[in-house]
Amino acid sequence: MSELVRDGSGGARGDAGGDPGNDSGNDSGSDPGGDSGGARTPAGGGRRGAVDPVKALMHRHRELCERAVDPLEIAAGLEAHGVTDRTAARFRHRDVFSLAEEMYARVARDPDPAPPPVAPEHSGARADWAVLSLLPGALCAATVAGLRLTEGQPRLAVAAGGTLAVTLGVRAALRRGPLSTTHRTTSGTLAWTCWLIVYALFGDGLLSVGIEGGPDGPWPPATAPVLALALACAPAAWCAHLFTAGARRKLTVSRGLEEFAVSVRPLLLGAFALFLCALGALLALSREAPSEPGAYNGPGAYAGAGALGALLLLARLLTTRGFTHAPAVVLGAAGAAEVTALTTVFAARLPGCSFVAVPVETVADAWGPGAVPTLVCGAAALVLLIHATRTLTRASAHATPGGTP
Amino acid sequence: MRIGLLTEGGYPYVSGDARLWCDRLVRGLGQHEFDIYALSRSERQEDEGWVQLPPQVSRVRTAPLWMAEDDGVVHGRRARRRFAECFGELAAAVCAAPAVLDGSEVSGGPTASEASRGVVADRFGSALYGLAELARDEGGLVGALRSEGAVRALERACRAPGALRAARTARVPDLLSVAAHIERALRPLSLDWYEDDGLGSVDLCHAAAGGEAALPGLLALHFAGVPLLVTEYGVQLRAHYLASAAAEESPAVRALLAAFHGALAAEVYHRAALITPGNTHARRWQERCGADRAKLRTVHPGMEAARFAEVGERPDGSGGADPDTLVWVGRIEPAKDLISLLHSFAEVRKEAPKTRLRIVGAPAEGPEGALYLGHCKALAAQLFPDEAEGVHAVGDNPVSFEEIGGPEVPSLAAAYASGAVVVLSSVVEGFPISLVEAMFCGRATVSTDVGAVVEVIGGTGLVVPPRNPRALAEACVALLRDPERRARLGAAARARALELFTVEQNITAFHGIYLEIVSRSPVRRLVVDDTGDPLPFGVPAEAHVPGRWTEARLMVTGRPRWAAGAPVRATAPLPAGEGA
Repeated sequence: MSELVRDGSGGARGDAGGDPGNDSGNDSGSDPGGDSGGARTPAGGGRRGAVDPVKALMHRHRELCERAVDPLEIAAGLEAHGVTDRTAARFRHRDVFSLAEEMYARVARDPDPAPPPVAPEHSGARADWAVLSLLPGALCAATVAGLRLTEGQPRLAVAAGGTLAVTLGVRAALRRGPLSTTHRTTSGTLAWTCWLIVYALFGDGLLSVGIEGGPDGPWPPATAPVLALALACAPAAWCAHLFTAGARRKLTVSRGLEEFAVSVRPLLLGAFALFLCALGALLALSREAPSEPGAYNGPGAYAGAGALGALLLLARLLTTRGFTHAPAVVLGAAGAAEVTALTTVFAARLPGCSFVAVPVETVADAWGPGAVPTLVCGAAALVLLIHATRTLTRASAHATPGGTP
Repeated sequence: MRIGLLTEGGYPYVSGDARLWCDRLVRGLGQHEFDIYALSRSERQEDEGWVQLPPQVSRVRTAPLWMAEDDGVVHGRRARRRFAECFGELAAAVCAAPAVLDGSEVSGGPTASEASRGVVADRFGSALYGLAELARDEGGLVGALRSEGAVRALERACRAPGALRAARTARVPDLLSVAAHIERALRPLSLDWYEDDGLGSVDLCHAAAGGEAALPGLLALHFAGVPLLVTEYGVQLRAHYLASAAAEESPAVRALLAAFHGALAAEVYHRAALITPGNTHARRWQERCGADRAKLRTVHPGMEAARFAEVGERPDGSGGADPDTLVWVGRIEPAKDLISLLHSFAEVRKEAPKTRLRIVGAPAEGPEGALYLGHCKALAAQLFPDEAEGVHAVGDNPVSFEEIGGPEVPSLAAAYASGAVVVLSSVVEGFPISLVEAMFCGRATVSTDVGAVVEVIGGTGLVVPPRNPRALAEACVALLRDPERRARLGAAARARALELFTVEQNITAFHGIYLEIVSRSPVRRLVVDDTGDPLPFGVPAEAHVPGRWTEARLMVTGRPRWAAGAPVRATAPLPAGEGA
């Protein structure tokens, strides 16, 4: 009962015919018909009289052959196109694998590797983070203006509302664009960051009145440096974007990890320097603006804010690339140092403890109260910068988050 | 017996691969206890939930493969060194493996190539287990695999002498891409499944697929000595090649990933106690990837025969079908080559003008399927004008396109029953399900020689070369003209299908294979007494003699009965008294 019309007779007859019926089939056939004309060219005297049948097969599957990285890939591709062991037998091969091996061995490979792929540009989404990064500065400016124009009870309301609005604005700005991150920041990091900003607002004033024996009442906050910091969100986002885009470009053209690290380091330093310039310009501008009467407005306050801005940018850059540990430690250390500075000033009033305030008082006497945050944040930023030149120049830091092929 | 069923993107998820087969297996082998260890492939799959599980499933443990759970452990100096050693070894094995194969063709003979392949496989295996031990001892493997150290190790391996040619061209993004892919593939290493209350407690691991699904089985074998059975209906490595051909990756990435998956497949095949391919095609691939021929047992997939029983057992041979009708059943897509079928039908009509062709099936998902269906319909309308009984009757086309559930074809069995001859015209085919269904229905078939068709049909139907409408037409005409031959072939086909492709044979085969594996490699487990001290002679000495002591009982009852009958206790540990 074994009835098997094997391809010997049927196939040969179909080929020898070569009649218009078959040809019309090729023309009207869509996908499978597209290469069906060649499929009927078996070894040994097809109608096209191919001397080298494997060559014809390779020509038909040339893309597959050129792309293939090993013979098995060709075998899988051939099978997906309907080549079976019995087809391979027509090419005088035992099975598809040995046919594929011959094809793999014979294919002429391009000695030059393909040109590096061009990094995809995402220009469409740029507008929204660029706009959002302006939001904290705008809200902060509005709040500062509101504080100048109001008095008494409404003033407190404006301060509370402004603080809330700026906080939300910063959150929104950090949600999108180059400063956004999928890595979770701990609540400790968040709290220390808030403390550093609060210190920039009130710390210098408290320190100076504390040294003089106060405070005897509320002291005015240093709004101008904080306004400059809020405005600096936009240059920060742009610098981070420049760094990210540049690093990605370097990534696609680098041949080795060492080469990548060497080429990215100036990029990182350049972006950081650019941010420092922008922040410095903003601080200079805000110093010109009319400030709170009575607020500490020495150059130290602005230097402190500048150091804080640099520290925060570096911490954020590290966090967005998954290095959350170092920023947490350094921000915590800086915050703790500022707490200590304040505590020592007030602890010195306890009997017999006056010596504890000596270092802080010496520094404040020499360069003004703003020197304390400048030193603390500057040192912290330096530590983070050194850390960043080691970690952010690694290629693994620039892998896309869902980087599975 | 306790079976650990390992799946990846499959059972028990509703949208899983091969869930029907797994479900039948678990339900069919109620005498065994099943623990299911499932890796899910996507968040959507996890959200869609599970199928209903039978009571013999005592436990289900799942883990996401689509999401890395970084445990936040940062390695210390010693762990870092250990990782660098293991991963460097793994990377070196991956980068070198295909190069060795290439070189062997040029210089060394087959034995040299076998030997060097063995060395590479050993390196890969030991590196893999080294990483697994590190993950078990220290954790933090996900973070380490993503670290700069891993990328650096890959770079070193790519630049090493003797590395694969394509790997030498790897650029930094390629290295990152490969590292990310390897991290994803090795996620099962970080799971906590290999303790004594997890995979360590099962008697046998049954991986429902090769590749990543079998990785937990490899580790269970390494850590607890649990024997591994691998079933592959489609070879994972081949699927990887086809998927990578579609992906836009550089040659270096594809070469390295192909080498990695090849090495993993070789390791799985090397360690597995038995491998059960679903058809000869899978078997050939497995042999090619280094599976030992002695370990291979082809187990054909089982299909529900009951719903075709009524059609298949009709006494009058032809099954009451219209003797002039050809039927094609399947999903309408370009790989089925309906164009060729229509052309061959035109040839058939020249010989037998009364013949009709029914094409039953829905278009494949996506725009391509619908487009192809439209194309076929247009071609049918062009080739065959509508025709009518007489001058006053309304005519219709001899080719009809129908879907299951329509008024003419209420069920799949009815579709097969409506034709005298079932035709399969594919140019590409894996395991031809519609052909098996036609065989269950006792139909005579004409099919193209693709995929596993010849293996399935045996001698019980006509086979013609693909893309040869004339040969197809001749075979159809021969069958249309000879009702007796049709009946004979149909009966033979049904008998063959009932012998080879029923669910029962599938389950029986696996039952036998389970017993075979466990009798040959019982899990060596320490038996403890009530106070937790090791019990001397807890496992009788006979338990270590391979095969004998369980097979003695099997021989008494004979092969068919034990295969279908009550469970046989084949596992060590026995209570102390029983074996002595």
